[in-house]
Amino acid sequence: MTYSDWLRADRLPHIYCAGCGNGTVINCTLSAVDRMGWKKEETVFVSGIGCSSRAPGYIMTDSLHTTHGRALAFATGIKMANPDLHVIVFTGDGDLAAIGGNHFIHACRRNIDLTVVCMNNQIYGMTGGQGSPTTPYGALSTTTPYGSQEPAFDLCELASAAGANFVSRWTSFHVKELTRSIHEGLKIPGFSFIEALVQCPTNYGRRNRFRQVMDQVEYFKTHGILVQKAHRLRDEGLPIPADAILLGDLIRRDRPAMGVRR
Amino acid sequence: MRLVIDERRCKGCNLCTMVCPYRIFRPGTKPNARGIVVPELDRPERCANCRLQALYGRTLCGMCQMICPDQAISWVEEKPGEARKVAIEF
Ligand SMILES: Cc1ncc(C[n+]2csc(CCOP(=O)(O)OP(=O)(O)O)c2C)c(N)n1
Ligand code: SF4
Ligand code: SF4
Ligand code: SF4
Ligand SMILES: [Mg+2]
Repeated sequence: MTYSDWLRADRLPHIYCAGCGNGTVINCTLSAVDRMGWKKEETVFVSGIGCSSRAPGYIMTDSLHTTHGRALAFATGIKMANPDLHVIVFTGDGDLAAIGGNHFIHACRRNIDLTVVCMNNQIYGMTGGQGSPTTPYGALSTTTPYGSQEPAFDLCELASAAGANFVSRWTSFHVKELTRSIHEGLKIPGFSFIEALVQCPTNYGRRNRFRQVMDQVEYFKTHGILVQKAHRLRDEGLPIPADAILLGDLIRRDRPAMGVRR
Repeated sequence: MRLVIDERRCKGCNLCTMVCPYRIFRPGTKPNARGIVVPELDRPERCANCRLQALYGRTLCGMCQMICPDQAISWVEEKPGEARKVAIEF
């Protein structure tokens, strides 16, 4: 299990801030791809714009670093032109759910055979910390200086409702589980959506009482609850803590898919 | 095998100190030439990978390597040297 064979070592160290969770998600994604035994010539990484979207630039395969929000549109094009390629999309919460929100729901609806890894840092990291559609209620950002007064999107519920075949959520703390779920997503035909909550110490953590990198990762560790446990609590009529982060494989189904390898 | 931190990549986030079950990583004390405080290794030969990776032919545990956002942790081959006593904790 090694991700280093897929990295462009000459491009490292990458530009991410110290402790940025995006780097961990790259490790997990590449380990999962490595497990699939795919050839580099047949694998393509696609991304939009944002810190998260810089990831393909550090990977040895062909890649497309596209315009903001349009990663899924470009990835759909690649898949329809040549279904034999394995296409993986890296995206951010802003890239996927704000400017790219419509591409997201329609890619799920079409159930096109992509694996999408969203590095959700709950903020616009690259542009200096503006609020995004996943910024939690009450959280501080440069555009919500008194705390966000909007409810946030649940990206996994969105993907499930729109029709994705596989939906899973983990965090940058759960490296083994995240790798396993990305591997599942790569195996499953149709749209696979994996949300990875990540720390952005520079633009989110610092403003939201996570003074050290470790503090936010510790939060992920202590607030994550498995979806099976949440269901058990619900069935027993017990309360699920309001700040719990639901983790695990949330949807796995077999709707008709597009662009599947022939 | 020997556990190493690549000082050219490490950015001193200390996430490795959080995950190691043996507490091999300790927050560093002095900045290096790049101004980064790289963690120190406390008896790294205790890591299961140093002893058993070659035998098993795969990475064991590997939590530190996976969580390190800067791809700075790896194991390198060691030159055959003198025998060393390793105290293993279970
Ligand atoms: C069309 C367009 N609008 C706005 C921008 C400015 N912009 C660059 S990155 C970004 C937000 C990125 O947020 P996210 O996708 O969450 O990525 P992160 O940096 O947090 O990983 C914005 C608004 C742009 N580059 N292009
Ligand atoms: S601004 Fe945030 S998301 Fe961007 S590299 Fe820095 S820590 Fe990572
Ligand atoms: S996790 Fe990696 S980058 Fe962070 S302190 Fe440890 S070795 Fe350095
Ligand atoms: S592989 Fe596991 S035991 Fe070895 S140093 Fe890393 S975290 Fe510690
Ligand atoms: Mg973001």
